[in-house]
Amino acid sequence: MEITWEDGARTTYTGEQLRWACPCAECRGEAGMPGRLSRVKTLGDEELRVKDVQLVGQYALQIAFESGHATGLYTFPYLRRGLMQ
Amino acid sequence: MSAPSSQQVLQALATIKDPDLGRDVVSLGMIKELEVSAQGKVSFTFELTTPACPVRDRFKSQAEDAVRELTGVTAVDVRMTANVRPAFLRPKPSEILPGVKQTIAIASGKGGVGKSTVAVNLAAALRQSGASVGLLDADILGPSVPVMTGSRQTPQQANGRLLPIDAHGMKLMSFGHLYPEGQPTIYRGPMVGKAIEALMTQVDWGRLDYLVIDLPPGTGDASLTLAQAVPLTGVAIVCTPQDVATDIAVRALQMFRKLNVTPLGLIENMSWYVCPSCGHRHEIFSHGGAESAAKRYGVPFLGAIPLEESIREDADTGVPVVISRPESAGAKAFVAIASQVAARTSIQSFRQLPVINVH
Repeated sequence: MEITWEDGARTTYTGEQLRWACPCAECRGEAGMPGRLSRVKTLGDEELRVKDVQLVGQYALQIAFESGHATGLYTFPYLRRGLMQ
Repeated sequence: MSAPSSQQVLQALATIKDPDLGRDVVSLGMIKELEVSAQGKVSFTFELTTPACPVRDRFKSQAEDAVRELTGVTAVDVRMTANVRPAFLRPKPSEILPGVKQTIAIASGKGGVGKSTVAVNLAAALRQSGASVGLLDADILGPSVPVMTGSRQTPQQANGRLLPIDAHGMKLMSFGHLYPEGQPTIYRGPMVGKAIEALMTQVDWGRLDYLVIDLPPGTGDASLTLAQAVPLTGVAIVCTPQDVATDIAVRALQMFRKLNVTPLGLIENMSWYVCPSCGHRHEIFSHGGAESAAKRYGVPFLGAIPLEESIREDADTGVPVVISRPESAGAKAFVAIASQVAARTSIQSFRQLPVINVH
C-alpha cells in the first residue's frame, strides 16, 4: 500500500507489514490480555494480502485482508510514523 | 396435481450444502425471490457469494434436480446471481448523507449547558440566511429537538426510508419523533452507535447545504460513531463560562482533535443575564471562560449567548427564539454565531479528502 500525504511525503507498506501491525483488540490484545499477534509465529498467505481499504471518518483507514480480517483502524499518525505506537 | 408449497421447495433445496461453509444453501440465505405458480412452475434466484464461485454450475444443476423431484412441478427456472460480501461491515462513507454538503456537529463536554437550544437556534439562523438546513438529533437517550421545534409528529416513509419532519423550514429527525411521548429509549452503548447510523442512512435527508447534528453531552459512543461514519465538516463546542465547565469542554475538544475533526470553535452559553427590572447585567456563571480557553487551545471563539427567559420560554412552546423574537439579544447572538460558523465551514470545504485507489 502506498500513501501519498498532503505534504507530498510517501510511505509504502507491504501487506505483511500492515497485517503484523494490526491495531485491533484481537491482534494487539486489550485489558491486560495478550493479543493474537503476540502468540502466533506465522500467518497464512490470505492473512497477509490486502483486499480493500476504506476511509474511517477522516482520521483512519480500515484495512481488510483476504482472510476476512478487517477490524483494524490504522490512524493517519500511525501510518505516517512507520506503524510505531 | 397441485403445485408444491414454497416450504416444500425450500426443504428440497436445503439438501444442497455449501462445501466451504458447511451449511445448507437455504439457511445461508442464498435462495431468494422464490415463486411457485399455480401451474407448478417454480422460479427463484440462487445468490452466490462471488461470481467466481467454483461450484456455480454444480449448484445450478443440483438445484434444478432437487426441485424437479417434487411432485407437481412442471418447470424450474433458476437465476444464478452473485452478491459479493462487502469486506467491511460498515456502510461506505460516500454512501452516507450523499446529498448533504456540510455536517456541523454541536457538542458539549457535559450536560446542562444548553447545547440543544444552541443547535436548534443555529440551525434556524442558518435557514434564515437562505441555506437549506437539516437537524439530526443524535441524543438518542434524551432527545429534546421535537419539543423545542414543536414538531411532535410521526415521520412518514417512502421507498423504505423515513422522511424527515418539516418544521420552521428545516428537515428534522430525532428519536423523539420515533417513540411516543414519555417512552424512554434504554440502549446499551453498541446500540447507540447503530441508532446513529440508522438516523443517517435510513432517513432520506435529500439535498442540504448544512446538516446540524445535536450530539449527546460528553465524549461517548454517539460522537465516536459519527466521527467514524462521516467526514464531519467541523464541531462547535458549547460550554458555560465557569472554569470547570470549560475544562470539560476542552476534553471534548481534545477528543475531536484525535478524530481529526476540525474544531469550529467554542460557544459560551449563559454568558450573562440582564435583569428586566433594574437593567443591570449580571454575570451569574462568571464570564469569558470560553474565550480564554479558546485562546489557550488555539481554536476560534465563536461568540457568547446571554441567559434570557424568552429563549427557554419559546423553546418550551416549540419555536426557536431566532424566529419568535429576532430583535432579542439572544436571537442576535445566535445569528452572529451562525454566520461565524458558516464562514469557518466554507473554508473547510476546500479541504481535500483522501483518495483511495485499490488495484
